[in-house]
Formats: sequence, structure tokens, C-alpha cells
Amino acid sequence: MNASSSNDSNSRPSAISVENVDFCYGKSRALKGISLEVTRNEIVAFIGPSGCGKSTLLRCFNRMNDLVPGARVTQGTIHIEGVEIHSPEVDPVELRRRVGMVFQKSNPFPRSIYENVAYGPRLAGTSEKGALDSIVEKALRGAALWDEVKDRLGESAFGLSGGQQQRLCIARTIAVKPEIVLMDEPCSALDPVATAKVEELILELKREFTIVIVTHNMQQATRISDRTAFFYLGELVEFDETGRIFSNPRRQETEDYVTGRFG
Amino acid sequence: MPPNHPHIIRDFDESIRKLSESVISMGNQSRLNLQRAVEALIQRDIDRCKAVIADDSEIDEAERSVDAMGMDILLRFHPVARDLRLVISSMKAVASLERISDHAVNIAKRAKKMLSREEIREVRLIEPIYLMADELLRDALASFADRDSTTGRNLAVRDKELDRAHKRVVATLSQLLEEGGANSESYLHLILIVRSLERVGDLAVNVGEDAVFLDAAEDIRYAQRRYARESDDPDTDPAP
Repeated sequence: MNASSSNDSNSRPSAISVENVDFCYGKSRALKGISLEVTRNEIVAFIGPSGCGKSTLLRCFNRMNDLVPGARVTQGTIHIEGVEIHSPEVDPVELRRRVGMVFQKSNPFPRSIYENVAYGPRLAGTSEKGALDSIVEKALRGAALWDEVKDRLGESAFGLSGGQQQRLCIARTIAVKPEIVLMDEPCSALDPVATAKVEELILELKREFTIVIVTHNMQQATRISDRTAFFYLGELVEFDETGRIFSNPRRQETEDYVTGRFG
Repeated sequence: MPPNHPHIIRDFDESIRKLSESVISMGNQSRLNLQRAVEALIQRDIDRCKAVIADDSEIDEAERSVDAMGMDILLRFHPVARDLRLVISSMKAVASLERISDHAVNIAKRAKKMLSREEIREVRLIEPIYLMADELLRDALASFADRDSTTGRNLAVRDKELDRAHKRVVATLSQLLEEGGANSESYLHLILIVRSLERVGDLAVNVGEDAVFLDAAEDIRYAQRRYARESDDPDTDPAP
């Protein structure tokens, strides 16, 4: 099913282009003929009930699903910044640098705050102390965490609060200068204040990055996303401006889901 | 997924149902007040005049109650899509319905004053104007209750007929007023009563606009006003 989308950002270049994608876990078809376009510097929210395929699609964008045995795209193409991500010349590790990911539960390394952020750039070849310092500061500032941690960069990341740990993970993701940031329910383990800080941060990050966020919190989707895609049973039911999805969706299934009349 | 599946939280469906019913019930009460005010005028019934004036406080209370229900739903359930539109349009519609009941009170108060004077046969001029206003109000309420945007949308055009009839009656009464005589004060009351009925038509159009928003998620207010400006002469006030 191809969902219609009225996108006023058509003139902006495409960051992610999905065409007629089917995805299977073994024999089970988790995504059915998905087509959608995400343009640069927009925030797109994926919503839908558990098992609808939204996280599966998100994980396709940086080939995270390659790590799951028997899981594969069986049809269709996914282009990131114009490059088909399954073509042989694409290195999945490099792809994951360009398409970063923030997970539901913050997962800092058992290292210092500094090392958590410096890890990626160091792996990518930056070893000079001054350069690393500058990258770490910029990433922590970008994740709105610098002022809170600048005096204890050498301390363990585990000493941070849950919300700070999640922002540290965002800092770690943006330290390697990705083009796209994928977020899989990044606030589901956070309290309302920490959630608000992360949401504020996501809106800030939009200036530099393209963001796709999976969320079960529909209020969150209305607060931060430009467009929202509703998935159900592996199909993309509707993809439109977020205001439209939550005020007057075109499809009955979308209306039933967003209004809570979903059995 | 079947359409119109019940809400996962039963209390939410119950709140939405109560809100919707309260709007319609208040609308019917306002409509009844208007009917009784006009009957009191024509039948020279002072008790009925007093009842209309007294019953207005129930309408005020109904408006407050719908606003409180709407606020409660917004606060507790964060409604979206058609539910959000129902809350917004309900809170707006009851403001118009409350104004309609105020016009019924105005009519009853003027009818009361007219009772102390000699009966004039021109009172009969009011009836067709009232019937037009009442039909508009009836259909506005139906369009809201049935979520029928087609009926809601047509009210503005029909209101123009009421405006024209209002102007004709006002012209007749103004002529009589200019001629002077013992009935002048009653003619003046009648002019203002017709004016109230004309305003009821405008307010019914507003409720119809709320119904269109509720059903079709379209805000047609400006289109309606533009229509009013383009199709009518400057003597007619735009809808409030």
C-alpha cells in the first residue's frame, strides 16, 4: 500500500528514499511494499502499534537488521543521500557512521563521559588530543549537555542521570558527524523533564541533521515532528504533515489509531 | 481495523458522548426559549414572558457546564482529530446558543412591555420571521448532531432570505413609526424583536460553521463572511 503524502518540502533534497520495500524475518513478512521519502533536515515520526514494522523500517536505514539471522530486505530499494545501501560498494560500518542511531534505553560505554564521546571519532582516525577535545566539546554542546558535565569529563558515564545518559548517547552519535540520526523511542525510559530536554534537543538537531524517530508517544510526535508516518501490520497506511495526521487524517485506520479507538 | 471502534478508555467515549449530547440538549433548550418568547408575544401571555426570562439562567449554566466538560476532556485525554474538533466546536457552539437564549430573553422583556399597551395587529409580522429563524436553528442543531457538513454549509445562503425578510418588515414598521401615534413605542419594540430574530439566524449560521468544522475539518467562517459581503448590501451587518 502506498500512502499519499502532501509534502511542502518537495523542493528539498531527499535524505532517505524507500521504494516498494518488503522485509522478512525468515518467512514472516514484516514490511509490505513500503515507499516513502524523507527530505533533508526534517523530523519524521513513525507511529503505530507494537509489531507494525516501524522499528524494523528504521533499522533498515543503517542496515542494523543485517545482524539479525534470517532477516532481510526481499524486495525494493533504500537510498540514503542517493546511494542504494545494499549495493556491494557500501560498507555497513561506514553507513552506520553516516546514519547514527539512538536507542530506547541509554547505553553508555563503561568509560568516562569524555571517552564515550571520543570513542567514535578516535575509531574513525582522529587521535590528536586537541582535535578530540574540540570534537567532544562540540558534540556535548550539540547535545545540550556540556554545561552540566564540563567539570567532570573524566568521571564515569554511569554517574549521570538517565536523561543525561541519553543526551550523552546523542552526543556520541553526533560526534561522528552523521547525516541522519535515527531514534528508536529515545524518551520512553525518561521522566517528563528529561523528556522535554531531549525533545528540545531533537528540535535543535534538526538544523544539522535529518531525524527519523520511532515513538509510542503521540503527543511527542505532534510536538516535534514535521511529518508523521502511521504503520499498521507492516504497511504504511498514511504519511503526511503531522498537523494533518493529528487533526484530520485521510484514512479511517489512522483516525482510529490516533484517537485511541484501536482494538 | 473496523471503523469507529470504541475507545480503549471507556470513560473517554462516555465523556465525548456526554459532551455532544449536552450541546444538543442546550440547543433544544435555547430553541424552546425562543419559541416560548415568540408565543408569549403573540398570545400576550405575561407568565410565559416571565418564565422565559427566568429560564435563561439554566442556559447560562449549561454553557458553563459544556465548557467545563470540554476543558476536562482536553486536560485528561489530550484528544486529537475528530475528538479534538468535537471539543473545540462544542465550546464554540454553546457560546452561540447562549446568545440565542439571550435574544429570547430580549424578546420576552419587550413582549412584557408591550402587554401594558394596546394590542397591535402588526405583531403578526413577526411570525414568518420567527419561523425562518427557527428553521435555521433547527437545521444548525441537526447538522451538529448528525455531523452533516452539507446542511451546515447551506445555512449561510438560507440566512440571506431571513435577512431580506427582516429588512422588509423593518421597513414596514419604520414607516408606521414615522407616522407617529399611540402605538409608536410598540412598533419600536417590534423592530428590535425582528432584529433579535435576524441575529438568531446569524448565530444559527455560526453553529452550522461549527458543524462543518466538526464534520469536515474545514474552517468556512471567512468564506461565509466574504459571501455575505459580496452578495448583500451594506445595510446588513455581517455575522457576529
